Amino acid sequence: MFALLSTISWRHVRRHRLRTLLTFVGMALGVAVIVAIALVNRSLSTSFQSTIEQIAGKAVLQVSNAESGIAESIFPTIRDTEGVQYAAAAVEGFLPVSGVERERLYVLGVDLLTDSAVRDHQFTDSGFAFDQALDFIAQPDSIALTESFARRFGLRIGARITLGTSAGKQSYTVRALLKEQGTARVFGGNFALMDLPAAQRAFGKEGKLDIVDLTVEEGSKIEAVQERLRLRLSGMADVERPKKRGEQIESLLTSFRVGLFFVSLIALFVGFFLIYNTVAVSVVQRKREIGTLRCLGMRRGELLRLVVSEAVILALAGAVAGCVLGWALAQAALLAVGETVRNLFSSIALAGSSLSMNELALALASAVGVALFAALHPAVEAIRISPLENARQAAWRPVFHGSKSWATRLGFLCLVVAPALVFFAPSVAGGVRQFSLGIVGMLVFLLGLASFSPLFISFAVRQFQRCAAGIPGLSWAETRLALDSVMRNPLRSGITVATMIISLAAIFTIAAFINSVRGSLLAWVDQMVTADIIVSSGARTAGPRNVSLREDPLPGLKALPGVRVVDLYRLVRANYQGRPIVVESFSAVESASVRTLPMAEGDGTKALREMAEGKGAIISESFQRRFGKGTHDTIELATPSGPVGFKVLGIYVDYSSDIGSVLMDRALYKKYWRDDLVDAFDLWLEPGADMQAVIEKIKAAYGEKYQLFVSTHRELRDAVVKIMEQSFVVNYAVEIVAIVVAIFSVINTLLASVLDRTREIGVLRAIGATQAQIRRMVLLEAASMGLMGGLLGLFAGTIMAYHHVVYNTKVLTGWTFQFYYPYDTALFALMAAVLLCLAAGYGPAKQAAAIPIVSAIGYE
Amino acid sequence: MIRCTDVRKVYRQGDTEIIALGGVSLEIPRGVFAAIMGPSGSGKSTLLHLIGGLDRPSDGELLVDGRLIAQMADDEITLFRRKRVGFVFQFFNLLPTLTAFENTALPLVLDGRSKAQAGARARLLLAKVGLEKREHHLPEEMSGGEVQRVAIARALAFGPPILLADEPTGNLDSKTGEAILSLLRRINEEDGCTVVMVTHSNEAARYSHRTIFLRDGRVEKEAA
Repeated sequence: MFALLSTISWRHVRRHRLRTLLTFVGMALGVAVIVAIALVNRSLSTSFQSTIEQIAGKAVLQVSNAESGIAESIFPTIRDTEGVQYAAAAVEGFLPVSGVERERLYVLGVDLLTDSAVRDHQFTDSGFAFDQALDFIAQPDSIALTESFARRFGLRIGARITLGTSAGKQSYTVRALLKEQGTARVFGGNFALMDLPAAQRAFGKEGKLDIVDLTVEEGSKIEAVQERLRLRLSGMADVERPKKRGEQIESLLTSFRVGLFFVSLIALFVGFFLIYNTVAVSVVQRKREIGTLRCLGMRRGELLRLVVSEAVILALAGAVAGCVLGWALAQAALLAVGETVRNLFSSIALAGSSLSMNELALALASAVGVALFAALHPAVEAIRISPLENARQAAWRPVFHGSKSWATRLGFLCLVVAPALVFFAPSVAGGVRQFSLGIVGMLVFLLGLASFSPLFISFAVRQFQRCAAGIPGLSWAETRLALDSVMRNPLRSGITVATMIISLAAIFTIAAFINSVRGSLLAWVDQMVTADIIVSSGARTAGPRNVSLREDPLPGLKALPGVRVVDLYRLVRANYQGRPIVVESFSAVESASVRTLPMAEGDGTKALREMAEGKGAIISESFQRRFGKGTHDTIELATPSGPVGFKVLGIYVDYSSDIGSVLMDRALYKKYWRDDLVDAFDLWLEPGADMQAVIEKIKAAYGEKYQLFVSTHRELRDAVVKIMEQSFVVNYAVEIVAIVVAIFSVINTLLASVLDRTREIGVLRAIGATQAQIRRMVLLEAASMGLMGGLLGLFAGTIMAYHHVVYNTKVLTGWTFQFYYPYDTALFALMAAVLLCLAAGYGPAKQAAAIPIVSAIGYE
Repeated sequence: MIRCTDVRKVYRQGDTEIIALGGVSLEIPRGVFAAIMGPSGSGKSTLLHLIGGLDRPSDGELLVDGRLIAQMADDEITLFRRKRVGFVFQFFNLLPTLTAFENTALPLVLDGRSKAQAGARARLLLAKVGLEKREHHLPEEMSGGEVQRVAIARALAFGPPILLADEPTGNLDSKTGEAILSLLRRINEEDGCTVVMVTHSNEAARYSHRTIFLRDGRVEKEAA
């Protein structure tokens, strides 16, 4: 086998360098996307876990209640629970560094005297002893920074640093420097230590704790202590191991990660067609050589192994290059994904990581698996080639049996299986599984439609010829011969059209999905955020980057001329049934007259009124889907005041989070959460008020102190769209891969077609066809494949996009999106398909026109 | 009509020079039916290709229909092949997806003639070769002789003054071959078309007015 590979196969590869290179690059790109996404997913997973574990230090149990916090008064209860060895209370969060854009410090507020029992804080001054710790605590403006952070900003002991806190800008004195060891390693050294009360003041969390880290006495069972604590806390907080808590936070990203996986699946699918195309074209090209080999006694099995081995070796080479490229791509993707995660989910530093054996195996196995599968059919076609082939004059081509061909049969099978999968999907348990089945259904449908390509080509070309349609600027003969060439080998042309269908469908599905998300999101923002001006700190939108403020600016804002209503919006992450959710609140009493609430179920006005009366809460679609709760049910939430039951007043649409949201009146929220912080001040103006003047006044009065973002409704919309587009950045990478693969496929097929028709082209030249006419014929062949692939790709993409927007997204996130058809993208995609094919056909067309007539006529 | 003066054709294969024609000089007057014979590798087909403008001489002067082949640009030589020369090949070389009618009309359509104009001429030519009833058949639906007759009809599309035939009977049985040769002779006589035919067959050469023998790329002898 090796001898055959090194002689026959290797020489074929060398003779067709361009085609080999195109396939190699296409495969490398496909594998690169898979590897990059695997790396990003691992980084997402490990970054959350390692951050939580680093902060947890030696703690084996953690008492927390997400961002809702726990009342400080229950700390003694926790500490004194039987089996607890040490208890270290902390508050935590991010504070922006004043005067340095986008720079944020993770601040951990602890009791410095007792915290070392749980966390290892290494100070650069080895003599940082008890007295210094007391001195640190005694001065409420004390802060300890990491060496690297201090070095970056030229801060020494005694220097001042200003942070944006809930009470506005606050200046702190650097009184200690930390070595980047243990906890201080988190967030790339953007870590600061404060005394607990100082940190509570900075975050506006007086009387509350975010977390209590515990170690357990020797001889005590962790599970037993955990159970004891749960009983004593009776629903006021969760008691979990750090790993489990990491998993809880990581679960925020489930939909995002599943979405990424879906993207890599598309890359794999497109890669499959590229390999199939290459091997199939290679078999067509080498039929005479294969006939000779068979004549010389090569057995079918040997031939099969040879063809498959060639594909596998090429795929492996592509995969190795893809691994390197994927690693580089992952570093870029991590920046983009990190931005999305920080915008939408949690402040986390995504660590770039090297390729593990698992990812390497995944990449190689994907490539080999795809190559084996893709090469099998062309290899079977190859072994059917007769030993007499080397003596034949007519060009060999795989037999296409029209509606009875294997491709058409496969198409029919897929079109039966695909709806069955989609129909069956809702009956399996779990959103991720339903989503996955839905995706598989979509891909099977796509495969089915692609399998109809040869039949479609035959049908379309016949219809075109039957209606004797002409193409302006081309003679009848040019049109006829170009289309004849497409139809003469429907299987070969079909592979290209199929690749076009798959590439275009993938691109269009992603584009239509993004368009629908954008459309739905903007419509939702218009309904949900009716305020004229939104005032926030730290970020324009409420989320992990946002700094929660105290209510202090409220009276001043209300007193501003032209301001009609000021409402306070608050968003915190809480837990429900051990899974993270979001609790949103605003004062329905204040703003019911100017607000609208997009409802998925129930009357918005009534729900708002009942909410203002404190009768219960409204839940989001995602919450309904995740927890199976509906209107009139009661949900019990863990609040800092203990567990509280809330009656569900209705279901509202909330695209800000897919983990499930609960919306309640601010008064109710403040009562149970003991929290008067604000994430955004929503302002409605009097009719005719000068918005710009109001904005200027707000900035003048509070802007400097609070590092405010004062946004108009339009600016908020723009910010939301920007965050959304950022979150789809990885999808664009797949679109590029799909486009590249489609181009490669067209070039591949046309090169083979030109080679296959060398004699015919020679004859045409001999009887008087000009080089320009030959070029036009090949280009028309390319354009017609582009048009057919484009039309079918759009058709498939439309169905897939609708299914993805309306069904898949719903089962994964609970969100109901409106389907917004991207007409402009459709038109652009169709034109691009034709133009790209024309561009791809240029090289082969030039090659065809330059064929030497004499050798072409003697080609056979 | 055709005048070769010391025409040479050299091919390069790597560092090796292959001399296909080593200095051929001959003249074929208008209206003559000439046969070129010789063993394999003697340069018969090369000479035919040069005369037909499919290839260009490496050296020497080749005047066909009053024009110097070596001096024509690619588009010019294409039009020359289209209108002034007709080709008939051993393996017919019809386009397999076109009918007899479409194959015949093809050179005219390539020239931009309307379908109606080209069609009328194609019908006339198919009638001339006796295939008026087979015009809608594809090559694969016709016999070898019929296919070659379509190829001749196609070669006559523009009524060229020169018809070049490369082993036109090489792929046919003897009876069919004779019919094809008779057809070529008739075209030569009726239309006054100069016919240059490459052949291995003495039988075929008998239909010609003159036979030119080539050996090792040179004219060995000529016979009337």
